[in-house]
Amino acid sequence: MKYVGESLQRVDSYKKVTGSATFVSDVKLARMLYAQVKRSPYPHAKILNIDISEAVKLPGVKCVITGEDYKKRGGLYLEDRNFLAVGTAKYCGEAVAAVAAETLDIAEAAVELIKVDYEELPAVTNAIDGMKPDAPLIHPDLGSYKVIPIFFPQPGTNISHHYKLRKGDVDSAFSTADFVTEHSFFIPHIQHVPIEPHAAIALYESDGRMTVWASCQSPYAVRQALSASFDIPLNKIRVISQAVGGGFGSKAGTTLEGIVIPLAKRCQGRPVKLVYTREDEFENAYVRQGLHATIKTGIRKDGKIVALKNRFIWDGGAYTEYGVNIVKAAGYASPGPYDVDNIWTDSYCVYTNHPVGGPYRGFGMCEIHFAIEQNIDIVAKETSISEVEIRRINGLRKGGITGQGEKMIVSGYHDCLETVLKEIEYDKPCVNTSPVKLRGKGIAACWKAPSMPTDVASSAIIRMNEDGTFFLMVSAMDIGQGSDTVLTQIAAEVLDVPPENITIRTGDTDHTPYEWQTVASRTTYCAGNAVKLAAEDLKSKVIELAQIKMCAYKRELEFQNGFVVNKMHPENRVPIQTFALGLTLPDGSGVGGPAIGVGTFVVPNNMNADKYTGMGEHPVAFWTIGFNGAEVEVDTETGLIKVLKMVSCFDPGKVINPLTYQGQVEGAMVQAMGTVLWEELKLKDGHILNKNFVDYKIATAYDIPELIVKVAENAELTGPYGARGIGEPVMVPGAPAIANAVANAIGCRFTRMPITPDDVLNALKGKNKK
Amino acid sequence: MKDFLYQAPESIKDAISIYQQFQSSAVIMAGATDIIIRMRDKLISPECVIDIKRIKALYGIEFSESKGLLIGACSTLNEIAENEYVKRFYPFLAQAAESVGSKQLRNRATCAGNIVNASPLADTATPLYVCGAVIEAEGSEGKREIPIDKFITFVRKVDLKPCEIVTGIRVPHIPGIEGEFFKISRRHEVDLSTVCGTVAKTGGEYRIALGAVAPTPVRLKKTEALLSGRKLTASLIAEAAELAKSEISPIDDVRASRQYRLDMSALIVRRGLERFAS
Amino acid sequence: MKYKVSFFVNEEPVELYVPANMTLLYVLRDMLNLTGAKDGCSAGECGACTVIMDGKPVNGCLVLAPELDGKHITTVEGLSKNGKLSPLQEAFIAHAALQCGFCTPGFLMTATALLDEDPHPTREQIMKGISGNLCRCTGYKSIIEAIEDVASHYEGGKRI
Repeated sequence: MKYVGESLQRVDSYKKVTGSATFVSDVKLARMLYAQVKRSPYPHAKILNIDISEAVKLPGVKCVITGEDYKKRGGLYLEDRNFLAVGTAKYCGEAVAAVAAETLDIAEAAVELIKVDYEELPAVTNAIDGMKPDAPLIHPDLGSYKVIPIFFPQPGTNISHHYKLRKGDVDSAFSTADFVTEHSFFIPHIQHVPIEPHAAIALYESDGRMTVWASCQSPYAVRQALSASFDIPLNKIRVISQAVGGGFGSKAGTTLEGIVIPLAKRCQGRPVKLVYTREDEFENAYVRQGLHATIKTGIRKDGKIVALKNRFIWDGGAYTEYGVNIVKAAGYASPGPYDVDNIWTDSYCVYTNHPVGGPYRGFGMCEIHFAIEQNIDIVAKETSISEVEIRRINGLRKGGITGQGEKMIVSGYHDCLETVLKEIEYDKPCVNTSPVKLRGKGIAACWKAPSMPTDVASSAIIRMNEDGTFFLMVSAMDIGQGSDTVLTQIAAEVLDVPPENITIRTGDTDHTPYEWQTVASRTTYCAGNAVKLAAEDLKSKVIELAQIKMCAYKRELEFQNGFVVNKMHPENRVPIQTFALGLTLPDGSGVGGPAIGVGTFVVPNNMNADKYTGMGEHPVAFWTIGFNGAEVEVDTETGLIKVLKMVSCFDPGKVINPLTYQGQVEGAMVQAMGTVLWEELKLKDGHILNKNFVDYKIATAYDIPELIVKVAENAELTGPYGARGIGEPVMVPGAPAIANAVANAIGCRFTRMPITPDDVLNALKGKNKK
Repeated sequence: MKDFLYQAPESIKDAISIYQQFQSSAVIMAGATDIIIRMRDKLISPECVIDIKRIKALYGIEFSESKGLLIGACSTLNEIAENEYVKRFYPFLAQAAESVGSKQLRNRATCAGNIVNASPLADTATPLYVCGAVIEAEGSEGKREIPIDKFITFVRKVDLKPCEIVTGIRVPHIPGIEGEFFKISRRHEVDLSTVCGTVAKTGGEYRIALGAVAPTPVRLKKTEALLSGRKLTASLIAEAAELAKSEISPIDDVRASRQYRLDMSALIVRRGLERFAS
Repeated sequence: MKYKVSFFVNEEPVELYVPANMTLLYVLRDMLNLTGAKDGCSAGECGACTVIMDGKPVNGCLVLAPELDGKHITTVEGLSKNGKLSPLQEAFIAHAALQCGFCTPGFLMTATALLDEDPHPTREQIMKGISGNLCRCTGYKSIIEAIEDVASHYEGGKRI
């Protein structure tokens, strides 16, 4: 192949190194107004009265709205939410009123003038407590909410979804096991921390058209949600997503767009802009849900895991957004990449008075694998079978059966395991450089499927210009992951033209074709297939005309280096642009018209699993499998952990661009390292104590370990050129690999992340006492 | 950020007279790295900001054996960290200055500002405490020198009279002083100290100060007395590390527990002394 | 209050009346429409707003507008000359030392100042020198390597 598999420079580089890439916060429109939001200071409170009279009087204020103005609930899967609180505020920071004013300063001053009377209500600040029968109810009307029927809210409780996976006969399998052991883990809330805070602008024009500029991953999903919430027909609402400054899931759904739209509606002809502060970002963008996980494992003396019983309790926050689907994904992936015959999993999404949980890179997988992969190491220690052997024995092979009962057509599990063992030199003991600094190595596996509905669609349009260059139009968004580059490469490969002759255009629902969402590590696979089909469609239309022009059969013609070439007689070739506007015949008549290719894609034969057992024939598009290895050094006097080296080996099917692949993997490993060493939203009685970069630390350049990136390519049969998605999976095994390495270094196991210096010293003290 | 009057006087005298005009509704700004954030967060909303960076007299890092080191109020942390005299005669101060924030921040933030903020965890405080540094201030009633341990009185409280301006920091020359600055933080770079401290030796005397373990930085007088003139043995070091814990009163917060801070304080004392024992 | 300030941006003289309560970052972004410097935290913690002031990298969010009188500011828009990218910009492209691109201008400014000060820093010095700039996408390795590439292949702005 000529372009696929090559380290092409990113197509968005030039704009990004010159500062000319335009993010929403960079957009300045004539007569723009600025929005600010009044937020609840309580985790749970009844709104008794909102007095906006002083705020509206402030000169420069154009409009003030409250939840009472827009009572229609919305939500992606479960309609449980208003963009501005109605009746009660359910988490600290929830929007209760909003202002649009001539300047940001005026808007801020107006917000201070809004007086809200609250009556504080008892709050649920722990998901386990939230499940108890006497817990305060956060959504008393849960039974009346509209819900997509693959989710099961339990009215009269705080449970927004209970997912069940039931495979085989767990109880009798436990009775045949030689060892049965149970362990619990806790993963706190964290935040995505894109460096670009969320931003949106809405403009409502006199003809009833609404235009929204949003830093969003999924313009079509945003359009749909806004259309439904505000009763705007889809042909009257346009969502434009431009450069997106990092998403990691936080920009997947709708957030602040729902606040600027009602303001814009009241301020016709004047764009209204809202940009989150970093504090807003921590509190009011989505957060990764907290998880309490318990895994019971039944294993035979020969190392075969015979039964798993999992109980996942998710702290979903005040509203569910994607939460219920994360809980489902975690449920069906609950055994991890292991071939286990008997599985019983309960995965609960629980409402709490915490920030709203949403999708975060990994969609539940980072959280559950922190438990699953440490559990494997713990079980290994308890049964005196090596953790490597347990993985070799139980890891999913080609032909193996997943937790949902699906047969694995392809599996890179063992290839990745062996590569990581080799690269991290797992069999070689660590060399300590100081008696108080102890080193250890750890490994962890992961699997992840795109957690998307079975029928979601992608499309692409490719147009040839008169000079043989192209416009490729999709609505999959480049949020940094490199999709613009990879999709361009796929089109270039099909058309055999240099990638620089193709300009990709994305993210404008009026002009670029439908894409469900840029999530689920599905873009290379789904949008990639659509692009490939679009390019093939264009090619076949051109060749249809070329056979007339070139007096040849279709089968003899192909695209080569910008020409249509007769394979039999290569000297017989015509530049592709000859057909850009169709073909002109000798008599002057035209046929064909402009060369436009269209491609659409849905995953073939992807079907819903059984609602009650989770079993299915082909319930997910594909599984991406891989491993991380890590070497750490623990200072036993300060409790500080330094990660020295991380190794990744995944099976991406086919790497379309090694340069962007490497970037994705390195970034993911460092992000994973951050979560296990530092990151946690510290919540006390529903309040976030560290909503700033001073006390919420992410990794800096100084912290990074040696990073090794390897691949084991086993083609995905339905993927474009064999590719499958990797953006999220590559983050998943980092945290448990590091946790396992720490345990191997100092002999203490940490079932909670992050592993703080405090925790390390306490564990060491406990160990020394014994 | 609320609007305010911005004044950039060119002399100390003018600065003081503006300050007198606005009294407590004015703030003095040098590096601006803290003031701007506090104004943005509306923790303060001054009527007037007096930017002292146009006052030439407040610049410069000078050293003489008789007068010691004089750090101008507008000298930035990077200038201090890179200064040859500081590196030679007060290496632990250079380390501390370099450990504050990021490169960008240190190009603006000043040592004087770090001290006037009176944060218990100010990184440059403990090196100045062990050297017995003196804060030079000037007001309408003239110049005043305040020993640093008297200057910082509590969390974010300093002994400055109304309309008095810090003009510099004088650090006595202590021939032969050696020592090290220690910073325990969650992340290696660009982080606040969980605990910080300086352990220094001059002749047979030891000087130890810790930060982030009490409402102000603390000089460990009892521990220093225990060590005075004695040969450092493993057991003496252990005893000193233990005693150090009795001289501080750390708290639990989002960054660490009280116990962790106690442990790290002892560790800093131990690691600091071990350097001199070997 | 508004203050008259005369200063230079990317070597061009600028004269403006600026409000006291505006920062350099917003003078650039809102008054001069130079949106390369980004607002990631407004608190000097993320480095996305880094520009070079009188030869030194500073956080644009921590400089007050009236302070600008007489200053020389360089922003990412001033790195390329007559359409020719600087060696660092070229290296960032070659190493894919960017993903979403939001932090990229800040990194380029910090790195430019770093190499101006010391054209041949060690890897350790690079890692330390750019630790005031946060990136959530790349994992930093490609950024460090792009800077190393320039540090080892350029002398006085010329490729060796």
